[in-house]
Amino acid sequence: MEVFFQTLVGGLGFGAVYALVAMGFSIVYRTMGLVNFAHGQVVMIGAYAASTFYMTAHVPFFISIPVAMVVTGLIGLVIERVLRPLENKDFDLMLIGTIGFGMVLESLATIIWGATGHAVPSPVDTEPLDVFGIRIRTYSIVVLAVAALATVALVLFLQRTKRGAAMQAVAMDHEAATAVGIHVGRSNAVAFAIGAGLAALAGALVAPMLYVNPTLGGSLGIKGFAAAILGGFGNIPGAVVGGLAIGVLDSYAAGRFQAYSELVVFLVFTVIIMIKPTGLFGERTVNRA
Amino acid sequence: MPRTATARLLLCATALAVATAGACSAPGSDSSSQESSDGPFKIAVVNAQSGQLSSLGQWEWKGAKLAADEWNAKGGIDGRTIELELFDDQGDPTVGTNIARKLSSEGFVAMIGTAESAVTVAMIPILRQAKIPNITSGQSPAIAEAGSPYAFYNGPTSNTYDESLARYLVDDKGHRKIALISNNGSYGKGERDAFTSALADRGITPVDDQVVTTDQKDFSAALTSIRQKAPDVLFVGAEEVAAGLIVKQARELGITATIAGAAPMGTPVYLETAGVTNAEGTVVSSPYLSNDTDEASRAFAEAYQRAHGEEAEMHGAKAYDGANIVFTALESSNGAGGAELAEAIRGTEYDGLLGDFDFDESGVGIHETSIGVITAGKLTAEPAS
Repeated sequence: MEVFFQTLVGGLGFGAVYALVAMGFSIVYRTMGLVNFAHGQVVMIGAYAASTFYMTAHVPFFISIPVAMVVTGLIGLVIERVLRPLENKDFDLMLIGTIGFGMVLESLATIIWGATGHAVPSPVDTEPLDVFGIRIRTYSIVVLAVAALATVALVLFLQRTKRGAAMQAVAMDHEAATAVGIHVGRSNAVAFAIGAGLAALAGALVAPMLYVNPTLGGSLGIKGFAAAILGGFGNIPGAVVGGLAIGVLDSYAAGRFQAYSELVVFLVFTVIIMIKPTGLFGERTVNRA
Repeated sequence: MPRTATARLLLCATALAVATAGACSAPGSDSSSQESSDGPFKIAVVNAQSGQLSSLGQWEWKGAKLAADEWNAKGGIDGRTIELELFDDQGDPTVGTNIARKLSSEGFVAMIGTAESAVTVAMIPILRQAKIPNITSGQSPAIAEAGSPYAFYNGPTSNTYDESLARYLVDDKGHRKIALISNNGSYGKGERDAFTSALADRGITPVDDQVVTTDQKDFSAALTSIRQKAPDVLFVGAEEVAAGLIVKQARELGITATIAGAAPMGTPVYLETAGVTNAEGTVVSSPYLSNDTDEASRAFAEAYQRAHGEEAEMHGAKAYDGANIVFTALESSNGAGGAELAEAIRGTEYDGLLGDFDFDESGVGIHETSIGVITAGKLTAEPAS
């Protein structure tokens, strides 16, 4: 029983991070129908940016996060601007373009910060809470809380604001949206910037839990992508559920199957997707390709 | 007219390509006679310069570079300079095998590296075929098991590390409740096997034996299971970063057992990743505990500091020893490569930073390690009993 709950707690801590990564994938996908394969690398840049401000400029950790989000938001805008001419013309090229951007970002990180990486001290330096023998890291609670806040904020933005409604409209039918005077390009740019901002949030939060180096984005990106698909690609609450599910699944598989855990996680994932191809909260909002 | 010109150009290019291909087709087969006239000795340093294992690779390169610079300053080997070339294997066995093929076609006499056992194991068959002696910083017994006469270690194998560790923990300190956690990479697996067998020799069965993946991030399940067994000692068999993450999470989950492990746990990367408080008291088995053990290590540390502007550590020292052994052997083989060089390396008795090298049939030169304990963020030697 103790193992069961402790594993759940551990899985949720990382699941919250996967959820944030998945939300970034989803917001871009639902708006543009595009999978941003550079997303994992943007997460990595976010982790570097936040930890660098935190460690070298001695800015408090929770101020360095918004700074990092601005940095990656700008990167998101650049990616969208460069790919914009391809919008509605060649989707395959856009996909390849995002993969290319991923490589560029990884190389840039190596040039700026070196290939070695650094460890980030935990900003919340209190003893873990002990609840009936289950140890809960205070930092994990912070991560879960931030992820929850980000989800609520994003859903409110999409449903309650004019800009958000415009993005929904573009997602549903971009030609009709253009006809009623919505600037599709701008809408896409906002989606990319938000996605990149979420990536920085995920990267910054995960930095003290892991070791920051230029290849950090790889596995986080894959898990986040799987989470987004599992929740129903393009669905924001779905991305959160998917992220937590992948995190928890990962932890249980690790306990049960040890060295074969990765295999089991993706097998389970494949089976779920075969039974329900649209993911748990399946609604395919976009199909533009 | 332009048509024929193009055709002729094409023909020339083809001829050139064939000629070059012919010239460097099989350098391994007769490299000893052909290459030994003059010009610099080409020696490859293959190590990860990117990825999670790149700190190792960069230390290795700095150590090897220092040795080569010192030899070149003294006039090289028989008047010929040493030319080191660095290859980035990214810690990836596939990249490693590609590099091995490249080395065999470009006339390298020897290779220094890699620091990652899995990569070295993958490269061995190609290097053996090309007759390129290689001195690795890997520790996995799998390298010796490959049985290549061209593969050498610049330090002890996991068997040696873990035998010393078991002797200290069980025989000296009397611990008997010992749990293991290791990852399933080449290094982690070697550590697990070696430590388990060292414990078995003492009639001890581990109270828990958890295996995790190399890419795993959350160790709650494995560590909670270990916590329930309340061991006195937790043995960690994983690379620097992975070991750091495991120990950090173990302490967060309230595991108070003494942490023990081999060389990776003595590095600054481990210390930073785990956090100084969490790493406190870690028992480390290592052939190179500090830059202050004797005259030679002090001199090395000073030269390293001067050359690279940073503090020396074990991996730099290993690569420095390894490089020096290769250069010494090249001198005694009169510049011959291939099988002659491999034999010369095996015959080299070298008083190095890690100890007195005396190679056996399996290519292992160092047969003992010392025990250190991390105290106040620094690895300090534990007096031998």
